[in-house]
Parts: sequence; C-alpha cells; structure tokens
Amino acid sequence: MKAVVITGASSGIGFEIARLLSKNYLVIGIGRSKTNCKNAKDAILNENPDAKIVYFIADLIQQNEVNRVADEIIAYLESSNNSKLYALVNNAGCVRSWYTTSEEGYEQQFSLNHLAGFLLTYRLLPLIIKAEGRIIMTGSQSHKGIKMHWDDVMLRKKYNPLTAYKQSKLCNILFARGLNDRLGNTGVKAYVVDPGLVKTDIGNKQTGGIVNLIWSIRKKHGVSPKVPAKTYEFLIEKHPAPPGLYYCLCKEKAYSRQVTSENADRLFVLSRKLCGI
Amino acid sequence: MNVMITGASGGLGRVLATECAMRGYNLFLTDINRAGLLSLKQGLERQYKVCIAAKACDLTKSESVDELVSFIDLHGIRFDMLINVAGIDFEGGFLGQEREKITKIVALNNEAALRITHDILLRRRPGRQFVLIFVSSLASMYPMPLKATYAASKRFLLDFALALRQELKNQNATVLTLCPGGLVTTKEAMRGISAQGFWGNATTNSLEIVARKTINHALKGKSIYIPGLLNRTLSLLGKILPRSLIAALIYLRWSKAQVKWLR
Repeated sequence: MKAVVITGASSGIGFEIARLLSKNYLVIGIGRSKTNCKNAKDAILNENPDAKIVYFIADLIQQNEVNRVADEIIAYLESSNNSKLYALVNNAGCVRSWYTTSEEGYEQQFSLNHLAGFLLTYRLLPLIIKAEGRIIMTGSQSHKGIKMHWDDVMLRKKYNPLTAYKQSKLCNILFARGLNDRLGNTGVKAYVVDPGLVKTDIGNKQTGGIVNLIWSIRKKHGVSPKVPAKTYEFLIEKHPAPPGLYYCLCKEKAYSRQVTSENADRLFVLSRKLCGI
Repeated sequence: MNVMITGASGGLGRVLATECAMRGYNLFLTDINRAGLLSLKQGLERQYKVCIAAKACDLTKSESVDELVSFIDLHGIRFDMLINVAGIDFEGGFLGQEREKITKIVALNNEAALRITHDILLRRRPGRQFVLIFVSSLASMYPMPLKATYAASKRFLLDFALALRQELKNQNATVLTLCPGGLVTTKEAMRGISAQGFWGNATTNSLEIVARKTINHALKGKSIYIPGLLNRTLSLLGKILPRSLIAALIYLRWSKAQVKWLR
C-alpha cells in the first residue's frame, strides 16, 4: 500500500486529506496535540474501520522535533513500507498576531509554514525519490502581491502578521518551484494547493486581538475543508503527473510573478543554512 | 561587546539574544533548559557571524552558579553587558499555590539575579563601560493581589536596580530596568493576554521592538524603560493613587481575568 505523510493532520484541511486518503493509502499524520491526534484517528476509524491511519506527535515549529519525527517515520516506513513514501503533504501552518520565535530564535510563521516543510522534505526525500512520489504544500492566494523581504525574512525590524503570513505562503510556492528545478529527472513532482477560503481555526489558534476577530468573521464565509482536500487527492492520484505548479479546485491556476528560479534558488540557499543542512 | 544573557532560551531571552547578535555582539547564553539553549545557539550561529557560548545553569543553586563562573574564568571570558532575563511566575492566589512554588518565584526572580549580577560585575572587562539590565515588570509599579509574590519580586528588582545604579555611577557602569506590560513570550502568556480582553491586548508590546529599544535605552544610560504610552500612563497612576486603592482595583480586574485564564 502506498504511504502518505500529512502534517497538521489532526484538524482542518489536513484532517480532511487524511480522512479522504485513508481509504486507499497508508496515511501517516503528524499533529502537535496528542489528544487531537487520538480524536482524529478515532473519527477516521469510526467512519471506516479498514482505514490505515497512524499519527505521530510533533511540534514542527521546533527543528529538533522535525528531525525527531522524521527519524521515527523513516524507521516506521523501513519496517512497514519498504522505505518508500509516495506523497508528503506539508500542510501544517500557523498565524501569529505578534512576533514570536521558535527555540532556534526563528519567527514562528516562517519557521512552521516554510522551514518545517523544507526540513521534513529534505529528511524524507530519499524515500519519496524511491517511490517517484509527490510533494504538496498548502499555499494560499495571499502569496500574490508580496515580495520576499530578503534583508529581513523574519520581519524583525517591522513585524506584521499578514506580511509574515503572505511571505511564508510565497515561500511555499518558491520551495515547490525550487524542488521541481532540482528533481526534474527523478520522477518526483512538487505542487502547491490554494485551498481558497476555508472554515478552519488557523487564525484563532494562539492569536489575539484584531487577528482573532477578523478571522472569526472571515472564516464564516469559508468552504468546508472537504472541498480543498479533493485537490490534494487529485494531485496525488492523477497519472501522468499533472504538469502545473499551483492548483485550486483541481485546476491549474496562475501564480505570482515573484515565483522565479532565481528567487527559488535564493530561498533554497537561505533555508539550507537555517536548517543546518 | 561581550554580553551575558540569563534565561536566554525563554521567549524574551531569545529575542534579546537575537537583537544582540544582529548588532554583532558576542554572546554567553545561560538557562536551565539545556536543549533550548543549544537550539538557540545553533539558530543564531546559522544567521550571524558572532561568537556564541552557551552553558546550562540553575541560577537558584549556588553550586550551579559556581560551576558556571569557573567555566567563565577557565576561558578568561570578561563581560561588557549582563541582561538578567531569568524569571518565573505561577498563576493563582497566595493560598491557592504550593509553598515551594511561591518561594521559587523569589529564589529565581531575586536571589538568583543578585547571585549572578554580583559574580558578573566582578568579571567585567577592564577599562570599558559596563551595561547592566534587569527585566522587571509593569507589575513592579503596584501591589498586585493574585500576583502578589511576583509583583513584589519585580518591585524588589526595580528598587534594587535604581539603588545599584547610584552605587555604580562612578564606576563607568549603567543600570537599566525594563518594566514591560504584556509580552507574548509563551503560549501561556498569550492565553493570559487573551483572557484579559481589551486591556490585555492594549498593554501588550511587540517583543522585537521592546528588545531593540531595551538595548538602545541601556546604551544611552537610561534608568527605566516602560514600553508603550498606555503602560507609562498606568505606571503614573500607580504613583498618584493610594496604593490600597490600587490593590483593590487590581483585585477586581484580576479576579475576573484569572478565572478565565485558569479555566
């Protein structure tokens, strides 16, 4: 059975992807809360007792946690799946109202929304190459209308929650572009999904004040996480691999002009440095 | 500039360490959390070309501080700045908390700060200005029911720092006390700020800005830094109104907020 790793899989979009894919794949979910992961697993198994679903607990904001969970997944797949990983969905993300940092001193939105996915992909890449698999990032339409703040990527001089979020989503698509530039002849393909406006709690977790208020109003107009989950399923199952980079509702979509190989290369160099690779 | 930071792997410590590294200062980081300290050291070394040393220490234990100081002496390290960040608080009223937790607040916020400050002042770089920073709190301005020990421990730091500043005035050393309102340093701090509603958000300051201005003010030789206009106004009220009235008003506000917070 093909294996899929999904981060942020205990709630929201990640949970729905896990629920959908667990019918035909071995799903390895990663979540921060043990209770939420247990509840998510129970809910999936209640609906489908034959589902193949397992959860690993990790706070991916911290890089030592990313490395630890990567070690655990590598060992798990070695024993159960011939060390092959068909898809990695880097979905975990956060919004922070204030400037807060990871244990490494990295701004948390940049750390979780981009660096965690970068490091986890790096660690699991040999297994994905073996399966000629796919890597999918959860992006956002908000990556448009912003440039990388190369002189201050963590926005230490002037932090703004929305700027930090938008930039981290631009990083997702630059990362996917950089992966495709580098993995062209391996059979591996990277994508970004724009989930649209979705009814999740991303803007209500560890936020406060205006961010919390705006998101509480905004999410009421969002669609169910079940809607974007279908795009992930489409990108994982479609053969031959869809040719594009950025997808919404199973269709290719235009992305920012900032998504260039030059910017992708620059982000790769910076991310490798910040991940100690 | 050689800077020692205590409590370096906590939320404020990390941001102050980053601010110093951005300025090109060499760092000596200490904290009881060894793993967090090493993560921070790695993170900073990947970004900045500065010398960073890190050693775990329990500042509440004399023998642990002796070990730290021996390490410093062994390597001949001398300092130009000490930032005392290490501190702790436990939520709840006086009788609602365990005895050992209450005394731990004083042991770390006060005793430990005195211990390390004494040792590092004796190890300042000769012939250079020395900058000493204490992290107190806006809570130091008032008697605070339901945060009684914490507020009193921060008042101790404020008064001690102001007095020590005079003692060191002619020794080319300056002392700054940082008295912030809310700072989003941990998930718990974030919950506490949310639980206070409007006032929580209004008295909260941006960590990165507070860190930058703290170093700026300390280098300029200022004595107290209270971030935010609203917090400065609130601190003035603490000086004008009778302290018993302030205590009663704070009790009214905190009794509601804390129920929500601890829920």
